[in-house]
Amino acid sequence: MKDVVLKIKNLSKSFDGRKILDAVSLDVYDGENFVVFGRSGTGKSVLLKSVVRLLEPDDGEIFINGENVLTADKKKLTEIRRNIGFLFQSSALYDSMSVRENLSFPLRKIFGITDEKILEQKVRNTLRHVGLESAIDKMPSELSGGMQKRVGLARSIITEPKLMLYDEPTTGLDPITSKEISKLILDLQKKLKMTSVVVTHDLICAEIISDRVIFLKDAKIYAEGTLEELKTKDDDFLRNFFSNKILSEQGE
Amino acid sequence: MKLPKLKYGTKLNFSDKFFNFFATLSGIGIFVIEFFKQVFRPPYEIEETKRHMLDFGIKSLPIVGTMGIIIGFVLSLEGYAVLQPFGGTEFLPGSVGLSIVREFAPILTALLFAGRVAAGIGAELGSMRVTEQIDAMDVSGVEPFRYLVITRVIAATMILPLLTVYVIVISIFGGYVAVYLEDGMSFTYFVNTMLPYVHITDLIAGLSKTFLFGFAVGIVGSYKGYATEGGTVGVGKSTTSSVVISSLLILFIDMIMVKISLL
Repeated sequence: MKDVVLKIKNLSKSFDGRKILDAVSLDVYDGENFVVFGRSGTGKSVLLKSVVRLLEPDDGEIFINGENVLTADKKKLTEIRRNIGFLFQSSALYDSMSVRENLSFPLRKIFGITDEKILEQKVRNTLRHVGLESAIDKMPSELSGGMQKRVGLARSIITEPKLMLYDEPTTGLDPITSKEISKLILDLQKKLKMTSVVVTHDLICAEIISDRVIFLKDAKIYAEGTLEELKTKDDDFLRNFFSNKILSEQGE
Repeated sequence: MKLPKLKYGTKLNFSDKFFNFFATLSGIGIFVIEFFKQVFRPPYEIEETKRHMLDFGIKSLPIVGTMGIIIGFVLSLEGYAVLQPFGGTEFLPGSVGLSIVREFAPILTALLFAGRVAAGIGAELGSMRVTEQIDAMDVSGVEPFRYLVITRVIAATMILPLLTVYVIVISIFGGYVAVYLEDGMSFTYFVNTMLPYVHITDLIAGLSKTFLFGFAVGIVGSYKGYATEGGTVGVGKSTTSSVVISSLLILFIDMIMVKISLL
């Protein structure tokens, strides 16, 4: 049995009285690609942001490698976060910095690396991983959506995190770029031996990446298993979802 | 650091606005406390602070310089028109110098600085907030308050007094140009009749408050940017309210500081 890297117990979160997550529990194992599936607005991103405490849950517990995230003080939380990579839906590149500065920023600030040669080498190596070494001197505004995602990914992995969290990594991209990014995520996960949690509603992305999937619906885990198991499950809602048909009121 | 949540919407009633007013004040208060809790702790972001100082200072030079020369010129012209009929033009350099050093240069520089710098900080941090750049920094283990807020507040606090000194010099020169054009007064006479009225205590009274003005601009701009919600509309609102709140705060601080300096 592999080690549990991320453990979530009875996580609940409400906004303005509306329950977004209701006692959600899950385990993510070492080296696994875990996909959180669900329609828009079902609390997938809330779940992911709660893991790194960008949002404070109302109730529940979160453990990363056995460390309790929700009770950690500021110093401990910073330590925990340094082992986590987070790719934001918007890529969240620092737009006042070039690609080079975006990537070297965490190395300078977190690891205190000041040797320009080491920084340059590390930045170039990481950009090579995502196939964008030529964009090193560009500003984020000069990059396409797909390129921004790649640079965002490069910035997240440059600190060699053990756990990678992806918030809708393929949203807003065309199907081909979306496929490329999904394959890149899978390649990187294999190369760098990371554990990944991917929040998405993109079926192609899930097909390429996932080892195991949960499906969130009505603030709870509606289904759990491999993607194949979920696709073939005898359930109207899931069948409708995976067949890309418009959901019927009954299915809702 | 938990900031009070403001109420948003197109139809806020009076009690909502009242609530938002106090929530903003307490948010600014929390920012001030957090600033003093963190400012003396390493790591010190010296390079980033220097970069902001140059940005806030050098880019403000043309606008505050233009304002300075016009203010000095107008003050002298108005003063000349009042004093000349009574044969009191020898008091003009002193009164112009004193009003520039104690009040006009500090307050007007600060208000222009608020318009340029508080708006800039509010818009930049606001955009960073809505595009998740601040969250990205936070998640990566870099303390965004330290890197984004403390550097800007220190830069604004340190650079405004220097800009004020620059405006004082330029305004006095503008004042002299006006008297020279009206009266042909020599520069030596202008300076010699001004110096007995303008003491070092006046300069201290004028400059000391500019540290507080700069601090107010930095804190308010940073707070409004940091607490931005609601996409690009929210960024616009943060930018506007950064200028409005910091300008009001500058006037309020000035009122208190003038009272204190005259005690």
